[in-house]
Amino acid sequence: MPLQSTIRLEHPERCIGCYNCVFACSLELFNVVSATRAAVWIKPCSLGDPFIVTICTLCDDPPCIKACKPKALQKDGDGKLKVADPSECKKCETFDCAKACITCALTIDLETDKPIICTQCGKCAEACPHEVITYKEKQQ
Amino acid sequence: MSKLLDKVLYIDLGEGTYEAVKQPELFEQFLGGSGLAIRLLLKECPQGTDPFAPENPIILAPGPLGGLFPSAGKTVATFKSPITGNLGESHAGGRLASSLKMAGYGAVVIKNSTPTLTLLEISDKGVNFCDASPLKGFSSLEVERRLRGCTAVARMQSLLSIGLAGENKVSYACVNVDRYNYFGRLGLGAVFGSKNLKAISIIGSGSIEVPDPELYKKTFKKVYKEEIETDKMAKYHFTGTPANVLVLNEIRALPTKNFQQGSFEYAEAISGENLGERWLERKVSCPLCPIGCMHIAKIRHAFASGYEYEPLDIYHNYESIYALGSNLCVKTAEEILELIHKANILGIDTMLLGNVLAWATEAFEKRLIDREHTMGLTPTWGGTETYLQMIDQIVLKKNEFYAKLAQGAEKASETYGGDEFAMVLGGNGLAGYHTGYASVLGTIVGGRHSHNNNAGYDIDQKILHQRMKPNQVIKGLIEENEWRYVLTSLVICLFARRVYTEKRIIDALKAVGIERSVNDFKKLGNEIYKLAFDFKFREGFDFNKVKIPKRLFESSTANGKLEESVLTRTLEEYVKNSSIRKTKL
Repeated sequence: MPLQSTIRLEHPERCIGCYNCVFACSLELFNVVSATRAAVWIKPCSLGDPFIVTICTLCDDPPCIKACKPKALQKDGDGKLKVADPSECKKCETFDCAKACITCALTIDLETDKPIICTQCGKCAEACPHEVITYKEKQQ
Repeated sequence: MSKLLDKVLYIDLGEGTYEAVKQPELFEQFLGGSGLAIRLLLKECPQGTDPFAPENPIILAPGPLGGLFPSAGKTVATFKSPITGNLGESHAGGRLASSLKMAGYGAVVIKNSTPTLTLLEISDKGVNFCDASPLKGFSSLEVERRLRGCTAVARMQSLLSIGLAGENKVSYACVNVDRYNYFGRLGLGAVFGSKNLKAISIIGSGSIEVPDPELYKKTFKKVYKEEIETDKMAKYHFTGTPANVLVLNEIRALPTKNFQQGSFEYAEAISGENLGERWLERKVSCPLCPIGCMHIAKIRHAFASGYEYEPLDIYHNYESIYALGSNLCVKTAEEILELIHKANILGIDTMLLGNVLAWATEAFEKRLIDREHTMGLTPTWGGTETYLQMIDQIVLKKNEFYAKLAQGAEKASETYGGDEFAMVLGGNGLAGYHTGYASVLGTIVGGRHSHNNNAGYDIDQKILHQRMKPNQVIKGLIEENEWRYVLTSLVICLFARRVYTEKRIIDALKAVGIERSVNDFKKLGNEIYKLAFDFKFREGFDFNKVKIPKRLFESSTANGKLEESVLTRTLEEYVKNSSIRKTKL
């Protein structure tokens, strides 16, 4: 079954750098307020530049999955990214999944040393005051 | 789980050492921010310390709601101020509070000085002392470009830095925080410079835990919705504080020509509305705040013929527009933005800079100084080009006269005369409100002699619109002085003061595991206000010695002309009624 809704970068140029998306995500995933323990991040090259909002856009044929040699990272029945076999995760020891994503949307949790996977829950979109991120039915 | 982040990071610049010390009682008593930072200053700053001596400490304190709630993420800095020679307390937004807390620190104390220009790198792992020689003379904008990390670990980073004004110890040099925020007033930048501290980078790669995530999320949502769905913060979101220009001009309270007038012929041109229409490029926010109060204008500065432009983006607010605009009779928004940019590049507080330039223009007009002093320059009202050159000379302290200007209008008037129009109270330059008695009185009785201590200007406007009676001024100022110390200890942004009612604060604290009552707040505000004056009296502050410039009684305010005898009488009454422990009146 295809995924009903996914997050999408709708108006990236409207970002005011408020981090509400980031913290909504860290709360959802880890029950903490953190900038590093989140699947969304705002890249600040310099605060004089526009903010670069990085989200997982859930590729049709995700390079992160292809890079995962132990096949721990997979798409589940809903089409979401998922660590299907946690015992296999990290066996590569080289974080190939993270390296494979050229937008750096998939990063490694500093606490657990495991990839932070976007669950497409839409909490980041809900928290955004400017529709930078939206949560909509996936476009075909 | 510790409910209050109670670790104080002590850094010794001289020894190159650091130590994190838990101080739970201190945090339990003061929560954070102003209260904690003033208490630590009383302890760490020896009596009679020269502001530029290594013994002058720098204290940084976020609050218990920082990094957790919208519009509650400011950080308070305390130090001994080189401009007032007394209590230095300055507040800044940006990512500082979040970064410090995510690195695990409830406060930072920086002591001593170093012979080498230094960058401090603070993280949860500790402190690195780096040689910052390559950054010497760089503007904060350039430091931002060079030191802002792009790595996943540095997703929450705060950068503090000084420009040339700080390095050269201009008494009102500021500290830039994350490009668009400032520890603006009272000269923290000069104290950084005196210690050879060029910049601080704080990386918060950790997490803030909340005891009950569900309760926290629910409470957060309430605050967030109130901020975006009611009009309580609309002003700060839409036009921003520059909306004050037309409002104050209308009631004849917009300081113009060094407070000679209360309205400005070109108010429309320099208004927030005009800036919004023509120059505003975007808005920027502090972490968790949906408001985006930082209004950024974009201008192109022509530096040569042949369509040679440099693109400049400039954060502007009401106080900068008043200080470098109407008060200097600068008539276009573009010129004001150029002046603000100049101040930003060199790292000087725009308010005190405008204050000094206004004094110098009038002193030149009245022939107290001449072209020999100014090194051939002729300051005139609205003369932007000359002002731009003078700013360079001040920062470089080019001659004795400019070195005096680098110490502020009060010090300059002691040497050259003209104290009747040096618009300074308690050593600090006046904010942009020529509204009436409460504004003047509020500035004198505020712990840091700022309009933000008690919003006297707001009381004046309520009196003008008959929503308050003149006999309520004293009570109003006492209440506001104390309540605002509660807000700034938490550290709630004063722009959000209408959202954070007593009840809302109790709920927010509860959601992060801290139980407090209305009565606790009353005691806290009262205690901090007293503490601030304990420090001030210890360092020689005396209400009888506060010079009140004659100009304040010469030109009409929004509430008419002020009389000196009335002001003196009200001040005496205020001090009698307030809780200040020791007075010499």
